[in-house]
Formats: sequence, structure tokens, C-alpha cells
Amino acid sequence: MTEKQKAFQVKANEFVFSFDLSDLEKVDMVSKSASEFNVISNNRSVNAHLMEADGTGKKLKIEVDGETFEIEIKDELDQMLDQMGFSTVSTKHIKEIKAPMPGMVVSVAVTDGQEVKEGDRILILEAMKMENSILIHADAKIKRVAVKAGQAVDKGQVLVELD
Amino acid sequence: MKKILVANRGEIALRIMRTIRKMGIKSVAVYSEADRKSPHVLFADEAVCIGPAPSSQSYLNGDKIIEICKELGVDGIHPGYGFLSENADFAQKVTDAGIEFIGPSPEAMRIMGSKLAAKDSVKKYNIPMVPGIDHAIEDVNLAIEVADRIGYPVLIKASAGGGGKGMRIVEKADDMEEQMERAISEAKSSFGDGSVFIEKYVSSPRHIEVQVIADKYGNVIHGLERECSVQRRHQKVIEETPSAIVTPEMRERIGQAAVMVAKSCNYVSTGTVEFLVDDKLNFYFLEMNTRLQVEHPVSEMIIGLDLVEQQIRIARGEHLAVTQDDIKPNGHAIELRVYAEDPLNNFLPSIGTLTRYERPVGEGIRVDDGYEEGMTIPIYYDPMIAKLVVHGKTRTEAIQKMLEAIKQYKIEGVSTTLPFGTFVFEHDAFFSGNFDTHFVKNYYTPEKIRDKEKANAEIASIVALKYWLELQKRLNPFENKSTSWKRRLAH
Repeated sequence: MTEKQKAFQVKANEFVFSFDLSDLEKVDMVSKSASEFNVISNNRSVNAHLMEADGTGKKLKIEVDGETFEIEIKDELDQMLDQMGFSTVSTKHIKEIKAPMPGMVVSVAVTDGQEVKEGDRILILEAMKMENSILIHADAKIKRVAVKAGQAVDKGQVLVELD
Repeated sequence: MKKILVANRGEIALRIMRTIRKMGIKSVAVYSEADRKSPHVLFADEAVCIGPAPSSQSYLNGDKIIEICKELGVDGIHPGYGFLSENADFAQKVTDAGIEFIGPSPEAMRIMGSKLAAKDSVKKYNIPMVPGIDHAIEDVNLAIEVADRIGYPVLIKASAGGGGKGMRIVEKADDMEEQMERAISEAKSSFGDGSVFIEKYVSSPRHIEVQVIADKYGNVIHGLERECSVQRRHQKVIEETPSAIVTPEMRERIGQAAVMVAKSCNYVSTGTVEFLVDDKLNFYFLEMNTRLQVEHPVSEMIIGLDLVEQQIRIARGEHLAVTQDDIKPNGHAIELRVYAEDPLNNFLPSIGTLTRYERPVGEGIRVDDGYEEGMTIPIYYDPMIAKLVVHGKTRTEAIQKMLEAIKQYKIEGVSTTLPFGTFVFEHDAFFSGNFDTHFVKNYYTPEKIRDKEKANAEIASIVALKYWLELQKRLNPFENKSTSWKRRLAH
């Protein structure tokens, strides 16, 4: 890492932030009760509500402005463990295309053994009255088509296998 | 009428049954195998499973529904919206079986179901129509001739089309041949009817519709307008009434035009006449929807009538109890359709289980929904979870109330159009009333929603971190002391 790692990494839903203790000192926060807080940030007065916290206090649920955030706090040790974990996972070659949502296969545009180009349509998946084209993310060769038209599929079910 | 079957599901089935019960009538629900636990089934007096999840094998199975009516001694069918609601053949079969179809006659549905037949029907009533040709054409040269006369750009439309499907914009004569061919083949494959016609393309249109109410004795009144210009994928998401741009004088004219359209097809029951309004506030007849509209609650809020109750009263042969003079707008109402869609990802369906579901409550807040916490959004039907409707004394008050209600509405487990609603209701263009059907294209960027979410996420993170640090201090006072001891040494 070129940049100096900050002491805390906090994940809030899909967002990730890094903070040092000094960052926190600048924040104007008061607590109204054990679970009600008010933060003034860029002159904006925001109320936050602590809904849940697990035993360690590192996993919390906090509501801000009507939105609920699942929070996960990582201190320096957690972050270090994470990095060790990462280094053992090599970049994996994608072998399968899975259904991004449950639905019904309307039609299949490819056959076993076919060469496809990035952006080519693999099949059309219908969910909730809407047809969604499932496209290929890169040039590839279809090893096997695992579904057929008219078939209902679950989220995560393999649609085609790639070579 | 003693017993009414509701041939629908979800929020609208539940909403209709509430009125049925209020009127002292028994309700019968039909449901597919996917909907056994749905609120409309739990609410009904009687319920019958009509088949597997796909609509074609359940909610669209008209013959089976009529059979059930006969078995259970049902005297009226309310079709809701969607499914069989605009199917004239079904309405005919219902009538032939001696059951009251709570809606218009099959003839009226047939006429208004075809855009060309509808134009033909209203022609003699002087209803303004978008310049163009009012019969099906296939001849490219004739199409070019018409387009030259009315001016480019023009729109090729499928007579049997709807919901934005089967439309093509042609900018110049050179493109006409290709676009005509494509439009005809598309219309054939999508609607089984290849007839197309040509209209002038209105470039900044607003979509304004008028509620009509008609009894069986030729009395027709209108229930004011609804502004439905905020759309995505040519489908409405936000509706309000009154419209911010309609003046009392225009309201009178557009209302009368709608009444004439209804009269032209001997319309009975509630219906909606849709108009296109251009930037100079000229309005043109678009089509008539021969059913209860999704967005009917906004009208109910400002005219003070339960439209489903009106439909049932009309169906059982009562005269309209109100006159046009009784219809006065009271305040302002806005509706947001809450869809299980991801506004950050092209409004794609977002499927899952409602892990948290809490409705907003308060004066002037109405939620029409068909879900409870823990339920899964089925993949087989429309992804609408609910309609959030608010009423305020003024438009500004209604907007503020809506923003507050959105904050209170807690839906987790799926993405919804709630944040999109906040975006629209906070936007200057919506606030000023100066917007058209291109609102999403002109103003909407998911980044703005994301930026706001990120700002809130950062605050949530800071609160969480500060809370955790406090907790550490309390749990491990020794560790803290030791830290300060070391620090003291270092000094």
C-alpha cells in the first residue's frame, strides 16, 4: 500500500470509508439519548438512530434521514487479517454465467460450443413482466447451455458454462 | 348485489374489497398458487385458488373465474386494472353468464381498445386530436405525403399498441420506408394486428388525463384532471391533481372534451380519458382507458368520492348521486408508485423478500398496498409494492408531506422507487410545475441519489465508529488507562 492506511475502515451498506481518530475529532456529534444522535456536517443538521448493535459493537444498524445502514467496523487488526485473506485468492477466471434474478428463460441465443463476443446476448430472462437481456461480459466460448426456453430459474442458478 | 368477486390480486384487489365490505357486500378473492398468503386472500370473505403462478394460467383464466362465480353465487365481477379489465370478450362472457361486469359495456371497451376506432368514434364531437391520419396505412408514399403536410418529426403508432410499445419517431422522409416496415412488423408480432397510423410528434408533451363517471342513464360527469407526466419507460410513476398548469378555464374545456369522449361510446362506469398537452397548453385526445386507473386515489382525495363505490352503485343501476357542480377540487393530492425496482440501475426489477416493511402513518397519508413484512415479491406479476398517496391543502404542503412520508416508509430487502420519489419531489422543475414527460431523461441522474446516500452513509459510519469507541472505553477502562500511562511516559 502506498497510501498510509487509516486506523478504521467502516462499511455502510455498499459504501466504504476510512477514518483516523483525528478525523473523528472534527465531527460535531451530540447524543440525545443512548440511541439517538445528532451530527452537524457541512452545516447540515442530521439525526441518527442506533437500531441494533451486536455484542462486539462492530456490527450495527443505524438509520440516517430515513435510510437504514448496515455498518461493519474494522480496526487495524481486522484490516490486516482481511489483506492476508485477499492475497491467497487469485483472480478467478469466470466459468459460468448465473441468473442475476429469479425469472423465466424466454429464449436462448447461443448453443454449445459457440464462440461469443463481449456484449453478445446469451439469453432473455423475463422477470416481473419485463424482459432482461443477459449479455456476455467478455469474448468467450460457450461450453454448455444449462437452461432451455420456458424454464424457470432461481437467482444464482447457472445459465451457461464457459470454456 | 350480495357478493362480488374481485378478479385481480395485490393492492388493487385489497382496495376494492375494502369498499365492498364497507358497502355490506360479501367479497370473493381469486388467487394463484404464488399468492396464498397475500393480504387480498386473507381479507376476503371467500377465496378460491385458480391455478399456478403464471398469470396466463390463473388471473387471466376468464372461463375459470366465471365458473367460480356460478358455483359461489356471485352476482358481480370487479376486474380491477390490468389482467382481464380491458378484455371485451371476457366482459361479454360475464354478461352472457348473467353476472354484472362492474365496468363499461363490451362495445365501449372494443371501441376504445383500438386507437383508430376510438378516433373514429370521437370524430363527430369536435374533440381536438393530434394532427395526422386517422386510418391504418401501409403505403409509404402516402405516409410521406401526410408527414409533409403535418411536418416532421412524426410518430408511427400501432393501432393496437399501448404503454409506449409499438411507437417509432421519424425525423425525415428518407427514413420513412424503413421505419414503416419495422413498425408494421413489430405491431404484427407484438399485438397480432399490423395496422399503423401517423401522428405529429409532440416534442415536449405533458400527459394529462381526466376522470369520468357515467351511469346507465346517460349522465356523465368528470372528476377533474390528473397530471401524470413523470414517467420512466413510458410508464407513470408520479401522479398529482390538480395539475400545476391547468387553469380553471382549461379545466372546463378539457373536462367537457372528456365527457364527450365518454358519451361517444355510451360509456358506463368510471373511466379515464387521456390527453397530450403541448407547450402552448393545447390538448389533444390520446386514448380512453376503460377501467379503474392505478392512480385513481389522487382523484378520490380531492373530489371526496370513493370511485369503486361509484362503480358498484352504477353497476347495480343507481343514478349518479352527484352533479358536475358538486365536483370541486379540495386541496392537492400526489401519488408515488412504489415499485420493487432499482432507480440506481436503470429501474431494473429488484427481486427479494421484504425483510422490513413499515408504512408511514399520518393525517392525509394513504398507502394502498398488498404486502406485509416477510413476503417475497413474486416474479410473475407487476413489481408494484404500493401506492403512496398524500393530501395537502396546497401543492407545496402535499409535496412536503410526501417527502416526510417517504422518510417514514421503511422498506428493506429490495430496492424501491422511494429514493427516486425524493429526487423528483425535491427537484426545482417538479416544484415549479414546469416539466413534461421527458422529466427522467432531462433531469434524472442516479448519481444525485447516490451522492446523498453516500453522505448519509458517511454520517452513519461516523456515528457508529464514535459509538464503538465509547463502548471500548467503557468495556476496557484498563486498556485506556494503560494507553494514557504510556503516553505520559513518552512526554
